[in-house]
Amino acid sequence: MNHFPQAWGRPRDDIYGHYDASFLQSSGPNQHTQSPVVTGTSVIAVKFKDGVVVAADNLASYGSLARFTDVKRLRTFNDTTVIGFGGDVSDMQYLDRVLSSLDIKESYANDGHHLNAKNLHTYLAKVLYKRRSDFNPLWNQLLVAGTDDDGKPFLSSADLLGTTFSAPTLATGFGAHLAQPLLRRIVPDEAAVGGITQEAAVAAVKECMKVLFYRDARSLDKYSIAVVTNEGIDLKEDEKLEAQSWAFAEGIRGYGTQVS
Amino acid sequence: MDMRKTGMLNEDGIHIDMDHLKKGEVNADRELRIQERTAERPLGPTLPIESRISSLRSGSAADTQAVADIVQYNLEQFGVEYDMPPTTQTAAAMFQELCYHNKDRLSAGMIIAGYDPRHGGQVYSIPLGGSLHKQSYAIGGSGSTYIYGYCDANWREGMTEEEGVNFVKGALQEAIKWDGSSGGVIRMVVLTAKGAVRHLYLPDNGYTGPGTK
Amino acid sequence: MVRTGYDLSNSVFSPDGRNFQVEYATKAVENGGTAIGIRCKDGVVLAVEKIITSKLLKPGTNKRIATVDKHVGVVSSGLVPDGRHFVSRARDEASSWRRFIKSPIPTSIIASRLGSYVQMYTLYSSVRPFGVTTIIGGWDSEEELPVDGQVGSGPKMGAGGKDESLRSGGPGLYMIEPSGLYWGYYGAATGKGRQVAKGELEKLNLQNGTLSLLEGVKEAARIIYVAHDDSKDKDFELEMTWISGKDGPTKGRHEEVPAKLREEAEKAAKKALEGEDEEDDSSKGDKMEE
Repeated sequence: MNHFPQAWGRPRDDIYGHYDASFLQSSGPNQHTQSPVVTGTSVIAVKFKDGVVVAADNLASYGSLARFTDVKRLRTFNDTTVIGFGGDVSDMQYLDRVLSSLDIKESYANDGHHLNAKNLHTYLAKVLYKRRSDFNPLWNQLLVAGTDDDGKPFLSSADLLGTTFSAPTLATGFGAHLAQPLLRRIVPDEAAVGGITQEAAVAAVKECMKVLFYRDARSLDKYSIAVVTNEGIDLKEDEKLEAQSWAFAEGIRGYGTQVS
Repeated sequence: MDMRKTGMLNEDGIHIDMDHLKKGEVNADRELRIQERTAERPLGPTLPIESRISSLRSGSAADTQAVADIVQYNLEQFGVEYDMPPTTQTAAAMFQELCYHNKDRLSAGMIIAGYDPRHGGQVYSIPLGGSLHKQSYAIGGSGSTYIYGYCDANWREGMTEEEGVNFVKGALQEAIKWDGSSGGVIRMVVLTAKGAVRHLYLPDNGYTGPGTK
Repeated sequence: MVRTGYDLSNSVFSPDGRNFQVEYATKAVENGGTAIGIRCKDGVVLAVEKIITSKLLKPGTNKRIATVDKHVGVVSSGLVPDGRHFVSRARDEASSWRRFIKSPIPTSIIASRLGSYVQMYTLYSSVRPFGVTTIIGGWDSEEELPVDGQVGSGPKMGAGGKDESLRSGGPGLYMIEPSGLYWGYYGAATGKGRQVAKGELEKLNLQNGTLSLLEGVKEAARIIYVAHDDSKDKDFELEMTWISGKDGPTKGRHEEVPAKLREEAEKAAKKALEGEDEEDDSSKGDKMEE
């Protein structure tokens, strides 16, 4: 008896020649790679002299549908670090649980040592790189904000490929195109960070959130903003955009009733 | 992968669930319409997972039933092992785990609704990617896109049971009206401290009855 | 004891219904440093008398109270490596619960699961029972907890239909013996000084639920000092952890009692002991040499 199941019920090779079984492998190589489904848009952040300001809106989109409007995409860790998540929400939740279990494992040692933002960024980047190397990426862009080993402001990004990048201002998604240039105007380089107050940083970030809401069609006017310093985290999750102005619409001319 | 699509029933149901009634929980859904066949119609997509927890399924019937069966089994085990009924959260967590870790093999959008004395009535939504969202009310399925406006405009904090039933029924009627893939009867289950009460509303009389009879 | 051969194997009963291996394990526990747990109205305190076996060991290291999950701590008395293995199992139980249920494991359930685990080591001839008695302290959230990772929040006014009379969560304290026997306690003690410690715990009337966590810390330190036998062991370190509710000092987490508070408690404990000595001395009419 032939012990290969794929040969059962097929013409015998010894009589009819080699049987072309290629059509049986209909699925091809093993594929994990999904695509994001429920997604969050930009995360933006800027360093200032004592810490970092991070913000992200509270929307989780389902394609172009603004499906969930109460999704908090800034997650805190250890009361010292804020992680802003862009991209797939289910993967964000998975990473949140990974971090929570990391937190528990870190408390086993009970040696008074706690992971800071820099450590967490290294860890997360490696998790993300590992998953992309398994062809099963976690579909996120992260900004990690907090302080480093010397207690200085820390801000760095990591994405679904495991790519990392550090700068005094960072933004993911649409924010990288729209907010980053605006933030860079205020904080052009690392040397400028020392001259930026918390108020200036918060104002710049709020202005950017407004620009993003004007021009990013997957954004929301409700957002979360966090200020991370050595003193801790001030996280506000229910902010509303202020002082929007759409009055320019009056001045638009050129078609239909507005030609006059 | 194309293979998983073959032989799959394409079906849609629309589901509404709502949270926070004065006395607990209503969730309801409209009968599903299966494009190839209608044999499953009388069964309906609501499935009691535990006496006061329900799951509402949209997507592939085979997938969502398989997931719901696994969760139902695990929740039964939980009840026996720990001598206490599982909470809505526990059910939601189990559904989420299955939907998330098998996202590339499943086509399942689910809503978990339940009542327990400690947490009251709760509604969780698990859309396609397997994320978990706690909501005041949840809608899903093909007809749901037509009623985002209705639900947003008509949902209020702290409705009574009757108001909740009417909200759900009103939303479903709109979905049936506008969605070509939705139609048939309205099935509803009201979950409160008293247990699960099923409702049925027929198009025969403009969705006014027979209700709980 | 007359050796009958019934003490050689774990899975064999003696004719009068005893499992000698388990009883010997209990003896191992009786030689360990005293460990206690106090269930207060707003938290749990765990404390252990860590006997210093060598001057070459760095003070404050080799911790004996372990964190199992954010909200659960474990202290044991007896064979230290057995305690370590127990803790490792406890951590596995807690993390597997989190993986499966996506919430913190209730203290009662982790106690029950570990009780079953310890009991299994009394059934087979191929294993020996645990040489530790373990005290498990935990705080189950009195508030509603989100599913781990969940987003969204439901209605602003909260869910409807809640039974407001229900009280959930709070402090939990359990003690597991080498036989696998476990009970929930108001106050638990094991190890060398358990008899003295139990006597002191009884005096606290813990069942009234009035002792506060801060008082509990003071009492725990005092009891460890009272139960310590100077004639047998010279030096010991006091190790103490606590768990409070969300509004308490540890915000629901199992943590070491801050050094400052512990030192205060130790000072008070030493003072209380000296007071006792003076009373004893004055009754004898002797004067104490300073």
